[in-house]
Amino acid sequence: MSANLSTVRHTRGFDVIKPLSVTALILMMLPLILLPLASIFIFGMSAGLQSFWHALTMPDAIFALKLSFVTSFWATLFNIFFGLFAAYVLARYSFWGRNAIIVLISIPTAIPTAVAGFALLLLWGPYGLLGRYLPTDFQIMFTPYAIILANIFVTFPLAFGVIMPVLETMNRSLEEASATMGATRWQTFWHVTLPSLRGAIVGGALLTFARSVGEFGSTILVSGNLSGRTQTAPLYIFAKFNEGQVEAANAVAIVLAVFSFVIFSILFFARDWLETD
Amino acid sequence: MRMRKLGILVLITSFFLTACLPGPTSKHGNRSITIYAFSIMKESLERDIVPAFKERWKQQHGEDVSFSYSFAGSETVTNQILQGAPADIAILSIELDVQRLIKAGFVSQDWFATPQRGIVNKTPFVILVRAGNPLGITDFADLGKPGVKLIHPDPVSSGGAQWSILSIYGSELKKSEMESGQQDKVRALNTLKSVWGNVFVTPESARAARTTFETGYGDALITYELEALLMKQAGAPVEIVVPKATIFSEHPGVVIERNVTADERDVVNAFRNFLWSEEAQKAFVKNNFRSSTNDALNEANPHLVKIEMPFTVHYFGGWEKASPEIIDGVFRDQVKK
Amino acid sequence: MQNETEKFAVSVRGVSKSFGTTTVLSDINFDVLEGEILVLLGASGSGKTTILRVISGLELPDSGSVRFHEKDVTDVPARERGTGVIFQSYALFPKMNVEKNIGYGLRLRRRPKAEIKARVNELIDLVHLNEHREKSPSQLSGGQQQRVAIARALAYNPEVLLFDEPFGALDAQIRTMLRREIRTLLKAIKVPSVFITHDQEEALELGDRIAVINKGSIEQIGTPYEVYMHPETEYVATFLGAANILPGIFRDGKFTADSTSLDLDESGNFRDGQSVSLVFRPEDVFLRRPENLKQHYQQLADGVVEEVSFVGAFERLTVKLLVGKDKSIVVTRPKTETSMFPLVAGQNVTVGLVRFRVLPSAARSAES
Repeated sequence: MSANLSTVRHTRGFDVIKPLSVTALILMMLPLILLPLASIFIFGMSAGLQSFWHALTMPDAIFALKLSFVTSFWATLFNIFFGLFAAYVLARYSFWGRNAIIVLISIPTAIPTAVAGFALLLLWGPYGLLGRYLPTDFQIMFTPYAIILANIFVTFPLAFGVIMPVLETMNRSLEEASATMGATRWQTFWHVTLPSLRGAIVGGALLTFARSVGEFGSTILVSGNLSGRTQTAPLYIFAKFNEGQVEAANAVAIVLAVFSFVIFSILFFARDWLETD
Repeated sequence: MRMRKLGILVLITSFFLTACLPGPTSKHGNRSITIYAFSIMKESLERDIVPAFKERWKQQHGEDVSFSYSFAGSETVTNQILQGAPADIAILSIELDVQRLIKAGFVSQDWFATPQRGIVNKTPFVILVRAGNPLGITDFADLGKPGVKLIHPDPVSSGGAQWSILSIYGSELKKSEMESGQQDKVRALNTLKSVWGNVFVTPESARAARTTFETGYGDALITYELEALLMKQAGAPVEIVVPKATIFSEHPGVVIERNVTADERDVVNAFRNFLWSEEAQKAFVKNNFRSSTNDALNEANPHLVKIEMPFTVHYFGGWEKASPEIIDGVFRDQVKK
Repeated sequence: MQNETEKFAVSVRGVSKSFGTTTVLSDINFDVLEGEILVLLGASGSGKTTILRVISGLELPDSGSVRFHEKDVTDVPARERGTGVIFQSYALFPKMNVEKNIGYGLRLRRRPKAEIKARVNELIDLVHLNEHREKSPSQLSGGQQQRVAIARALAYNPEVLLFDEPFGALDAQIRTMLRREIRTLLKAIKVPSVFITHDQEEALELGDRIAVINKGSIEQIGTPYEVYMHPETEYVATFLGAANILPGIFRDGKFTADSTSLDLDESGNFRDGQSVSLVFRPEDVFLRRPENLKQHYQQLADGVVEEVSFVGAFERLTVKLLVGKDKSIVVTRPKTETSMFPLVAGQNVTVGLVRFRVLPSAARSAES
């Protein structure tokens, strides 16, 4: 599915619209996207590579990055499994309330992340609706597990949203053929359905992971923002900025920016492989 | 094909292994104290006070205690604790926040049955302007002049913002009292109104407001003296304008009783008491605070400015009066509209 | 019709199915003999695909039964029935190569690796796909994909093979070639098969017997010769091969329509005065100039040639009958005829019938 680039000739002679519109596009992107990104890198390198490296290797900074990547990893893993399971049930079975569930699954994208974090606090906090019954040692809030939970909530619809359409439009004959050849539902799923979902799963995972790493609004509420304990990378940037340590914030910001760039480059260049049937 | 599958398997398992949650940067396994404090307390605690306490404790008891911190605006810190954040010690900007914690059962009623009624340090509020004082600011009233762009933290989240409002309002009351023997509430209200009219951004905490000012925004900033000194000492092109009359903010430090377990009690209490030790108070002064125990210690820091007409929150009858009457009654209902 | 079902490979009895308010199948009955190729022939929407899905277990009938040899499989889920289905799109698993596709059924049954390998090789030889065994389905042509689909279905020795319009996506030439190949193959391996198609030429060439389906009911089952030469309904007559239909009345043992009448060989089934249709095929029409009609063809009527077309192997003409409502019929003549007696548009001819059938009228109600 490579881009369907147009080769239609619209005018006699030289078509000025094309370079004009391309230039306009780039001009629009400059102040909105390109320049802000560039300023992170320019500022970060202004004090020299030495100072950048020093800011980056501070224990709290490294911890924040590690924490972000690990919590995002687990949240992504969970959401892939759940997204697969939910997509399968919703794409293959019809039942009363099916449409309602599909809408519900997509709701976390519409909810402001701060609301999500707040809701989790209200439920699981030490004085929360359910949290009050948890013994002190098993308190979830203000620990890294709360971060994972918040990330699961917020990124829930992403993997699901990528996998579901693929399942819905998949040629049913494949699964029927497998059934007539003697496969149980699970065997069909494992041997036939899953391999065809490979691209969607990888794409969904990358998307979820990238989104999760950048999550802020819910994390700041449920983590307690303890530096060196529960402070993720975005929280670290925010805290360092508030403390006036702009270089420290910048160093981590650069890492996150580069990381997101890498993920989306993978998604883009590998999309043919990801989508081959 | 087999090799590729194997390679992928190896990649996945190694990722799994490394994906266990990272251990905290401070050593775990031993006892740990969690401090939630308002934003400007960061340097004094992290650099001087806590290391001094750790060393002392180690000498006396042979134990390594680890600390973890979380800093934000005073109101935010209080809200976090109310929601269950695992703080053992809280150092807040205004007494009102302590009252909230008492009401919710986190802090004991007799929190002030400690030295200095629980106040660990204090600092006056000053005005910070750009080098050369181009707009000719001399006092709070000047901040109400047209064309002045003021940064002021948000009173909803920042205790320092509330101190600032009290200092503006109170300084006019004090000056009018000095001049005519009577507190001119109308004049104070008008000054507050004109000053607040020049505020163009309200960051979450006093520290955040300072950072915004540092980045080059705004013409002036009302802030704790220590923030102003820190900026000057870092070489920023700023000047401190000392108002004639200004408030001294007093910062309470409390133990969050609910979160302290029986086996932590001794070290937590010891730390709290340490805050009033000479060593700690000297450290506060070094970090540009003023001592709450002994004014003489303040001499050690030559940068601390002299205030002509100082006053505290008791000038208004304490926070019990100041909060409803001035913060709510005057500021929220009349100035902010 | 025998009632013992044990002798048949597949036995369908009384199957009916509705989707919502639409009745798709009503009372379907037929058998498939051992080693037989049965073709279900019908137009789109006639229900033939549904019959296939009922046999394979992909659909559950509302009533009726399906039996494989002795066993009643009506309640047996699809995966336990042991049918081999070749889908219209072939449904080859895109992420597996040819070998893996073919071996899938055996891998599901956890056969030992050696056995699977041997069987896969055997099948690859059978369908002549040796050079392509490592390719993935997207690298194969339509005909090759179909062969993989067949091999895959045969791998686990199914009770019956079910083909769902397998030649639909192919070019005409390839279609014909493949048709013959597959018939040879199926006859060699002796597995009973059911084919679905809407192409009557295909049905005639491929099937040992053909079941013509119209709107959810079977109109006739018989050998290709039977259904073509002796269609029992108008639908069957017009669906298999072209047919000209002339409405008329059965009277005094003859077919009468306006000014013509024809003697019938068997008149047993008709009442006097019943509406009937005369059905005759274009190739069974004999055209002569009025003065040359030979005696042993029954004369139908006079007519005028309207259009003459050259269609390669034969000539097709439309002739307007000068009887009743000026009906036009289609006539085909082989080259032997056209060279001996050339005809042009506008010429007067006499239309004689070599062969014809009279069937009860489908549309009109009986008169008198």
